[in-house]
Amino acid sequence: MTTTVFLQLVTNGIAQGAMYGLIAVGYTMVYGIIQLINFAHGEFFMFGGFGALAVYLWIPPVQHLPLLAALPIMLVGGMIASVVIAVLAERFAYRPLRNAPRLAPLITAIGVSILLQQLVFLWYPQPGGGKVQVGVNAPVQFPTFAGKPFHLGGVLIQRANLLTVIVAFLCMAYLAYFVAKTRTGRAMQATAQDPDTARLMGINTDKVIVVAFVLGAAFAAVASITYGLRFGQVSYDMGFSAGLKAFTAAVLGGIGNIYGAMVGGLVLGIAEQVTTGVLANYHATQQWGTAWQDVWAFLLLIIVLLVRPQGLLGERVADRA
Amino acid sequence: MTSTMTTEPGPAGAVGTSVLEARGVTMRFGGLTAVDGVDLTVGDREIVGLIGPNGAGKTTFFNCLTGLYVPTSGDVRYKGTVLPSKPYRVTQAGIARTFQNIRLFANMTVLENVMVGRHCRTKEGLFSAIGRGPRYRAAERDSRENARELLDFLGIGRHAGSLARNLPYGDQRKLEIARAMASDPGLILLDEPTAGMNPQETRATQDVVFKIRERGLAVVVIEHDMRFIFGLCDRVAVLVQGRKLVEGTPQVVRADERVIAAYLGTPYEDGAAGAREDEGTAS
Amino acid sequence: MADKVPEWGSASQPRQPDTLSAQPQRNAAVSPALAKALIGLGALATIASTFLAWTWTTSFPGDLSVTGYPGGNQVITLVVGVLLLVALGTAYGLPGLRWLAPRGHVRLLRGLALAGAVSTWYILLAVAIELNGIANWVTGSWVALTATALPVAGAFLLADDRHEAARPPAALPRWAQTVIILAAIISAMFIADYGITTSFTEEFIGFALAVGLAAWGLNSSGVLARLTELNARNRVATSAAAFAAALLFVFLQTSDQYNTIADDILIFATVALGLNIVVGLAGLLDLGYVAFLGVGAYSAALVSGAASSRFAHTALPFWAQILIGVGVSIIAGVIIGAPTLRLRGDYLAIVTLGFGEIFRIVVNNLNGVSGPSLTNGPEGVYGVPDLSLFGYDFGKPHVLFGVTFGKFGNYYLLLLVAMAIVVFIYARVNESRLGRAWVAIREDETAAEAMGIHGYRFKLLAFALGASLAGFAGTINAHLLNTVTPDQYMFSASSPPNSAFLLAAVVLGGMGTISGPLLGASLLYLVPAKFEFFQNKQLLLFGLALILMMRFRPEGLVPNKRRQLEFHEEEVAEAEAHAVAEADASEAEAVA
Repeated sequence: MTTTVFLQLVTNGIAQGAMYGLIAVGYTMVYGIIQLINFAHGEFFMFGGFGALAVYLWIPPVQHLPLLAALPIMLVGGMIASVVIAVLAERFAYRPLRNAPRLAPLITAIGVSILLQQLVFLWYPQPGGGKVQVGVNAPVQFPTFAGKPFHLGGVLIQRANLLTVIVAFLCMAYLAYFVAKTRTGRAMQATAQDPDTARLMGINTDKVIVVAFVLGAAFAAVASITYGLRFGQVSYDMGFSAGLKAFTAAVLGGIGNIYGAMVGGLVLGIAEQVTTGVLANYHATQQWGTAWQDVWAFLLLIIVLLVRPQGLLGERVADRA
Repeated sequence: MTSTMTTEPGPAGAVGTSVLEARGVTMRFGGLTAVDGVDLTVGDREIVGLIGPNGAGKTTFFNCLTGLYVPTSGDVRYKGTVLPSKPYRVTQAGIARTFQNIRLFANMTVLENVMVGRHCRTKEGLFSAIGRGPRYRAAERDSRENARELLDFLGIGRHAGSLARNLPYGDQRKLEIARAMASDPGLILLDEPTAGMNPQETRATQDVVFKIRERGLAVVVIEHDMRFIFGLCDRVAVLVQGRKLVEGTPQVVRADERVIAAYLGTPYEDGAAGAREDEGTAS
Repeated sequence: MADKVPEWGSASQPRQPDTLSAQPQRNAAVSPALAKALIGLGALATIASTFLAWTWTTSFPGDLSVTGYPGGNQVITLVVGVLLLVALGTAYGLPGLRWLAPRGHVRLLRGLALAGAVSTWYILLAVAIELNGIANWVTGSWVALTATALPVAGAFLLADDRHEAARPPAALPRWAQTVIILAAIISAMFIADYGITTSFTEEFIGFALAVGLAAWGLNSSGVLARLTELNARNRVATSAAAFAAALLFVFLQTSDQYNTIADDILIFATVALGLNIVVGLAGLLDLGYVAFLGVGAYSAALVSGAASSRFAHTALPFWAQILIGVGVSIIAGVIIGAPTLRLRGDYLAIVTLGFGEIFRIVVNNLNGVSGPSLTNGPEGVYGVPDLSLFGYDFGKPHVLFGVTFGKFGNYYLLLLVAMAIVVFIYARVNESRLGRAWVAIREDETAAEAMGIHGYRFKLLAFALGASLAGFAGTINAHLLNTVTPDQYMFSASSPPNSAFLLAAVVLGGMGTISGPLLGASLLYLVPAKFEFFQNKQLLLFGLALILMMRFRPEGLVPNKRRQLEFHEEEVAEAEAHAVAEADASEAEAVA
């Protein structure tokens, strides 16, 4: 294996990992504050992609713009879709269970996840009907960049990958500013540390929780659009495995730790690409390559839980055991 | 504490004289030292009180004794052997505890709660539970009888069949004690057993603690209620900011200027009731 | 929901006498005598109407065109009418019928009246709509329409007389208790049988409406609570009766047609019960449970002698297959559980979810191309031979006691035994040191550890036991279906068993109970199987159902009456002592 090939794998891994990281931020913020694994977060992610696609398909002028100019408009659509869904889910499914036994909100989260997936599936064009002819389970096409990838040394950099990394960086910079400098951000940190005391100090914890859901969903929408751009498709069930990976990333970086989420995402993305790439590169291990990618990611999760359960950067969760 | 006494190791010498020996227990959380070099010895059938203002480290010290926390330094011996650092092993060894904020198994019956306390004195596993041989039945009957006896001992036998969460508050505290006693401990640690009780119930709890002693147990009590502590304990230790300030008989502690200054702020007779109420709302 | 719990408590644990005899508020607007007469008249007319034709054509399924005897859904209306007459007996205070309504007869009447009316009207409406117009109604339709409306009017004119149940009467002789239990369970079996063998959607909807509303009436009249209590007191008799009733089911089948449904329900329910140990008792959320079923099924299929198996020449006896299936499942369970169960409880959910997904990927790829050759990839292992135990070939028809058992009838018998084993294990473990330790961990792990419970070890044990039971069911499943493929074992798919459905069955039925998951599994299987309309929306509805259940009835349809099921023998004596002591206490307080 040459260095170039290796670097190519790392580059692809960074783009993939940045996307995981963007999704993982939502998991980790919500978990840090209310200790809920929001299984539906993968579906918030999926909604973002479909929201953006809806804007693209239903507002014809957008289609005639250059993609780079259309993207901000699509982004707004995607964010609205996923944020609205997240706020609704928080308000009507999770909030009433704030003081319930811990199994109850987890099961509700599963329910929300299945419900959202199936809601989108309902609108899938069925074979023989509808405008777009796709098979029942086929993914839906997403616009992609037309231009050629950039060359850097021998390494190819896809336009969509470059965009993903830039956007992820901007998002994290904003998040860092938000958490450290704004009132709401500090309230969020306080709530994560000790919700009861935060409430006593006059912080509206309900609002803080909604903000965490909103931010998480908005980031997920961004991630979803980068997913669409990179793979040229979105599908109703894309949230399942992306969500699983993103949660792995959140645990990897240290649950509750927003920077950890991005670090975990990058590590997972790179590890995944490099492992499969290296395995596929040699004849003896060839068959253990691409098809097994998710298995390696899962093994990584198990190993991290065994070796460093608090994650790479350390978890930040109020201990209420 | 004379250091010559406490440094004598060996289980043989300790049995019968001291049940618990904690030496130099220190617990640090990051930069914060919650418990700082505390020694405590509890003799056979002795009732020891642990008092101190909120945040003095009393409960943290308890958690160090029961394996919930592993002390940063120092060691704890029970009847001469160093205590293991896992809560379930500590209970197995013979130290049982109650919790400051009641932690019953709310959706189990009162009797079941006490039977759970019996857990570490029984062994029946999966296969005997399925097979239900004579030995299993006998063990189960023993646990049940033991639990009933303890419930009667604490005067809540009539509630045996109801769910723990439906019990009145005072009875929930008693149930916690019954559950702790089910593990046949040699030492029982009570964390604020009279919190939220009225004066009558507090007096009744005093009698309960004396009765527990009569059964051959040593007791350590954390409490804010001075009258309760001074009427109950053979010896009282005062913890302030993680350090042991004074230790001695109730008379000695009551008279000690430093205790009055550090803990009450005002002389005992005037301040006790008020101090207690303040602590109650804060905790 | 909040007010349900104390109600239960008061039913089994008597309070002061004055709360027992709360007088119903009488509404003087209509004389109760008139209302009762209305109900009686309506019930008789309802019964009569079922002997008339409800339409003139046979093109509506179930043939409602016959005058002289009831057919199709008329049978349901007839049964409800008869029940209504019996319930009316309680309203008139007929001796021997009072036990039907310990908490008041009006709700019972309302429930049954609604059951009759709603179910009948639904069918009549379906006739009118599907055959295009009310012109398809005949005299009988109008009679039925009016007749079923009368009891509803009567029952709602009666003032609600709901009150706390009185202390149960002196215990009946044992044989009488057993007879009641047997009768109740056999009736339940007949209802289930009717539901399973309904042959068209309208029939099933009419049936479901009637059963649902009648169950509501029976429940609020307190008779179901009495039955539950009786069952709890005679657990051996109940289990035997349930087993007998389940056996009776298969003897009633004239063909193998509905045995396939019954088999699927049994497998589904058995696995759900296994999951209930993990989720309901130990409080561990296992979202990849069906993967353990898959592990068991694959392990058994590979050594069953199936031609497509990697080890086609290895045909081990069934007991050895079970051992291997269970063993491999346990190993998988320990591999997943050991690192995860040490950590925060929530991590288990995500790791098991991942495991479920990984299992599918792995068996898909162990096909000799993208991985070593083991599982034959997406095609799976097919041609798994039918079982043959003690010379009894499960694949061939047999005649037992004059009844022909086809393949699915044979497997029904085996599955019944398997389920009995799982129920037995569950019941025994639930009430043991082990079960108490699990529930204690579920309730408060820190306190449990302070009581000397090694939390990690017991959680791992629960997880491994759950895995082994699923593996056990999987070995049978492999033979029943004759094939094992990866997509039979997914997190969510449109047909049970899959992990989402299993969880839904446990949650819907009631966590920590035996009958809950059985009921939940039956409902979750039957409803989509019978409603064609549901076919592509069932997952959507299940998602919604999970959310709504957690919000409004987290204890499930069959709430866990732990207190009632346990210590039932001492309970009466205890309750009495309790009442005396409380009376003493209140006296003492009054004095002070």
